[in-house]
Amino acid sequence: MAELFVPQTLDEAVGFLESHAGSATPIAGGTDVMIDLRTGGVRTEWLVDLSSLGSLAGIDLDGEQLRLGALTKIRALEVDSRLARRATALVEAARVLGSVQIRTMATLGGNLCHATPSAEMPPALLVHDAVVEIAGAAGERSLPLADLFAGPGRTTLEPGELLTAVRLRIPASAAGSCYLRQTVRWSMDLAGVGVAASMEVDGAAIVQARVALGAVAPVPLIVPEAAEAVVGSELSPATALEAGARAAAACSPISDVRGSADYRRAVVSILVQRALRIAWLRATGDWPEGLLAPINGLLAEEPA
Amino acid sequence: MRVELSVNGDLYRRESEPDLTLLALLRDVLELTGTKWGCLTGDCGACTVLVDGEPIVSCLQLARQVEGREVTTVEGLAGNGALDSLQAAFVSNGAAQCGFCTPGMIVSAEALLRARPSPSEAEIREALSGNLCRCTGYNKIIDAVLEAAGSRGAAA
Repeated sequence: MAELFVPQTLDEAVGFLESHAGSATPIAGGTDVMIDLRTGGVRTEWLVDLSSLGSLAGIDLDGEQLRLGALTKIRALEVDSRLARRATALVEAARVLGSVQIRTMATLGGNLCHATPSAEMPPALLVHDAVVEIAGAAGERSLPLADLFAGPGRTTLEPGELLTAVRLRIPASAAGSCYLRQTVRWSMDLAGVGVAASMEVDGAAIVQARVALGAVAPVPLIVPEAAEAVVGSELSPATALEAGARAAAACSPISDVRGSADYRRAVVSILVQRALRIAWLRATGDWPEGLLAPINGLLAEEPA
Repeated sequence: MRVELSVNGDLYRRESEPDLTLLALLRDVLELTGTKWGCLTGDCGACTVLVDGEPIVSCLQLARQVEGREVTTVEGLAGNGALDSLQAAFVSNGAAQCGFCTPGMIVSAEALLRARPSPSEAEIREALSGNLCRCTGYNKIIDAVLEAAGSRGAAA
């Protein structure tokens, strides 16, 4: 049995975690921590309940700057119509996480700090150049999201540190993003492969692009060389194919119940091509605003 | 540790272990056994209840974290012993086989109908995707939710 500490301020939370390093575990939505406690994956003397820290929840969009509080519920991301238009990958990742019940409980910060390699939110955030804000007893710091992940279930947070927010850049126009995934079941499943893409378009040319992968390496991956394959021209089947091949070459999937390593590499290539295509259609205004893509990105006019 | 909870409109004050789940509190302390004890990993949805009208799985919810909020269990849907229209539709459509998943299904469907009074079949499937029926009687469950949506629409 664990004791419960309920801090009323961020300082109080950080102070307690610092002074009880090794014996205290933060809990927010609880959808991972409660399972870890039950299965013995986490043993702790203290649960530090963050749910009273209301200031850590919220979605603030100011021009091109988006700030997501760590306690923001996944469900809140899923139903935000501004994000559906401007940061579609985030909504497409949020809507496939767990079930309605899990999304109503689970928080963005928890999804990141649990550091599950197949987590939905990291790839979608990575293609929007996410930076995480961290509070600790020694003060605040921030770092690129990619540098938060140290391995399966491990982050680079120091003992006593808390992730407090995620900052993103959301281009105001001529931009699009997309998150797709492959699963064995449509719902209540972890991604076998997760792929996010984003791009900005000037005239008919892609001027900036990002490709990120989930579930195919020990940590979520950004693949700059895949994105570079599509920069400088309009998106064509050939440039998308090259990007898919580079992404497949960059990942290091395992074989498990959700697919073999070879299968996952093949799916990475396909999903990267589809995600780039959908991001391109969004960036060029050829996709209905706010409409989410099929979960695996398969469009009706494409050959199956 | 003392926990103060509002459940189905009644306020309860109880002494409890600090890491007690809402599910354990509802069933073992308050003896509201409509909410079912299923997988305990958030996968099956049998323990679904509403917190401020939103569906959650009570097996992963610390009771202490929902203090000051309104919890609604399946017992809170029936008024004065009469089934509400959604429960009645489950009966008339034969939407229960063994019945174990039924309270969770009904609570998830209730949350959907409050948010979207006329859902599509696809929306119903999505809303119930976190509730497993091991008898696999999904079609009649969806029929029941569609019928309840129709009857509530007609009554409104």
